[in-house]
Amino acid sequence: MKRSSLALLSMLMVFTMFLAACGNKTEEKNTASETPKTETETPKETEAPKKDVSLRVFSTFGGTDTAREAFQAALDEFTSKNPNVKIENDTMSANDDGFRTKVNTDMNSGNEPDLLFYFVGTDAQGFVDAGKVVPLNDILDADAEWKAGFSPAALENTRQKDGNIYAAPLTGFYEGLFVNKKIFADNNLELPTDWEKMKTAVSTLSKKGIIPLAAPFDQSHYVIEHFILSAAGAKGHNAGLADGIDPNWEKGYAAMKELYDLGAFPKDAATIDLGMASNYYAEGKAAMIIEGSWAMNNWKEPNVIDNTTVLPFPAIPGGVGTGKDAIGGFGTGFYLTKATYDNADKKDAAVALLKHMTSPAVIEKIAIANGGTPAAANVEIKGVNQTATDGFAMAASATSVNNPIDSMVAPETFSTLRAGVQAVVTGKKSPADAVKEAKDIEDANKK
Amino acid sequence: MRDSELVNKTPSSFEAASSFKYPNARENKTQVVINMKGDRKYIWIFLFPMAAFLTVFLYYPFFKSVYFSFYRTKGFFDKKFIGWDNYDRLFSDKLLGAATLHTLEILVYVLVFQVGIALVLAVMVDNINKFKGFFRSVFFFPVVISGTAISLLFVLFYNYNFGLLNSILANFGLEKVLWLSENNALKAIAVPTVWHYVGFYFVLFVTAMSKIPEDYYDAAKLEGITGVKKMVKLTIPLILSDIKVVITLAITGTLKVFDFVWVISRAQNGTDVLGTYMYKKAMVDQNFGYGSTVAIYMVVLGVVIALLANRLLKSEEITY
Repeated sequence: MKRSSLALLSMLMVFTMFLAACGNKTEEKNTASETPKTETETPKETEAPKKDVSLRVFSTFGGTDTAREAFQAALDEFTSKNPNVKIENDTMSANDDGFRTKVNTDMNSGNEPDLLFYFVGTDAQGFVDAGKVVPLNDILDADAEWKAGFSPAALENTRQKDGNIYAAPLTGFYEGLFVNKKIFADNNLELPTDWEKMKTAVSTLSKKGIIPLAAPFDQSHYVIEHFILSAAGAKGHNAGLADGIDPNWEKGYAAMKELYDLGAFPKDAATIDLGMASNYYAEGKAAMIIEGSWAMNNWKEPNVIDNTTVLPFPAIPGGVGTGKDAIGGFGTGFYLTKATYDNADKKDAAVALLKHMTSPAVIEKIAIANGGTPAAANVEIKGVNQTATDGFAMAASATSVNNPIDSMVAPETFSTLRAGVQAVVTGKKSPADAVKEAKDIEDANKK
Repeated sequence: MRDSELVNKTPSSFEAASSFKYPNARENKTQVVINMKGDRKYIWIFLFPMAAFLTVFLYYPFFKSVYFSFYRTKGFFDKKFIGWDNYDRLFSDKLLGAATLHTLEILVYVLVFQVGIALVLAVMVDNINKFKGFFRSVFFFPVVISGTAISLLFVLFYNYNFGLLNSILANFGLEKVLWLSENNALKAIAVPTVWHYVGFYFVLFVTAMSKIPEDYYDAAKLEGITGVKKMVKLTIPLILSDIKVVITLAITGTLKVFDFVWVISRAQNGTDVLGTYMYKKAMVDQNFGYGSTVAIYMVVLGVVIALLANRLLKSEEITY
């Protein structure tokens, strides 16, 4: 017995010796390879006496984001001009809600990134109220050139409830009804510019086995926004649910049911996600989809993308929408965190990086890559293809451009609205009940 | 009394550890006891990191959840004490009731098919002499694959428009089937859930069976007991305690099902289970207060069901 513990101890000792030996070896290696490096680096350092700064930039320009490379290139451009700055490009895909949790946890636990690219509006209200980010008003006013680079509308759009601008916008977006013109022409249908044409198109296409409108029930963000906007108009849509229910919201849900009964949605709308819905459209299996400007870059099939145009969602009869209202805006921007701003070592570099990332040149490059509307003044982008050009034209001729509903109501309220879609279209719930349920959640949230 | 004879033989670094005082221990027993005691110190040292790890990543979050369940939270930055309101909501929440029923339905599938198939496979493999290792690896393999990967695979099987199953049906000129319809979706999800972990329980059963002494079977052979009778009367009773462990594992595992449901059906069409419901409340809705309350409900439910199962399966311990 004694011997076994002795053996254990000696084994541990042998292990530690191994570890120590390994450690020594690697150390030796490191010093050997590092020495020449430092020699070459020393002259550089004398040229730039600035302190070494490392900055962490968190954004959603990762994964399958179409502007990922353009974003990385813009960061690289900055580091090559400022060799003393190291940038950690921290990204997370925006395909699911996970990045919201990450951002909020980081902001709440003292692990703030130096620059944060995130939503404005309700999503940001938490960390804005907690004073985790710096108002940019003074920094903007101090640098007239930088400020003049933004289009005033874009800056205005990122203004938070308290009247301050916290986020410097990069590109904006619009959402709309993307229509495959070829499918419509092949079936002798007119484009769905009004409700009657929409209904005719839906019933004709569904009889022929073509999915009229690729839309999921669960991730029905865009469906809800457009049906409610078309029914309740810009004012009703933007009022949210805080001060009572606009009866036109119910008409929006009733219209969803009307189209569903005509066979508008895919058979498996209940269980697919947005990615699969977009896939149906991309493969030419669906004639229409309600999506954002960023989506078209994922549609590679020439038959589809070359035949796609963007329309505003038609007005719903009995509602107050104009049929030319659009969802869009500059819903995102760069935040400068308070912790970084108060850190004398990092402040200047972070502000410089912020200015670089929102300079007209970078904005233009990102906008070209993701098909968004540039936040810079005097940057006119021709769409990379006809669809993108159509989209810009649609957004430009809209009678109103509105931020999406999920920036107006609490997250749980919006989930309830989403859950209401399937229940209403399948007749399990009345539109009034679905909206009422969401209203109750909104009220409970205000407590 | 210092056990000097032994201590003197050990190197000095070891002395401190083994030189405990045991006033009443008898001379002939001390050798064993002392060393157990000496080892115990090391055992504590090695147990501590795990205990610390669990405290930080399991017990602290759990008690924090209890704390949060008394708050109404708005995102991450704002919370308000609301007493028992979240628990009131828990008892009147129809969606939670539905999620509980769906979880229990999957639990039934898991107990019947996952444990059942694993047991049958184990009995069969136990009865062959060749290729035991081969079958063990083949059946265990799915356990190694991540649940999300398997789920994505099944998304492509079940998809209505270009899924594998419907393509096969179309090849035979048959009507497409909506595999994830409201009546079907939960069963469709139960298939990969069951399949994923069959191998794990199978390996546990095979190991348990290999512990049964051969002479039991020899005696049975002499009595003329073979085949199904041998399995029912001999093998299964002898591994009953292992079956109990497996059933407990299956119950606790099923209460945590999340990935299959989230990926395959997005928890729609009557497939919302407790795991996905809690995630939606806490993470998507950012209502951490109610999400925590649901989490606590899950813990309580899990413990109750596991205790219940243990009570029902109570039997005398068998020692070989």
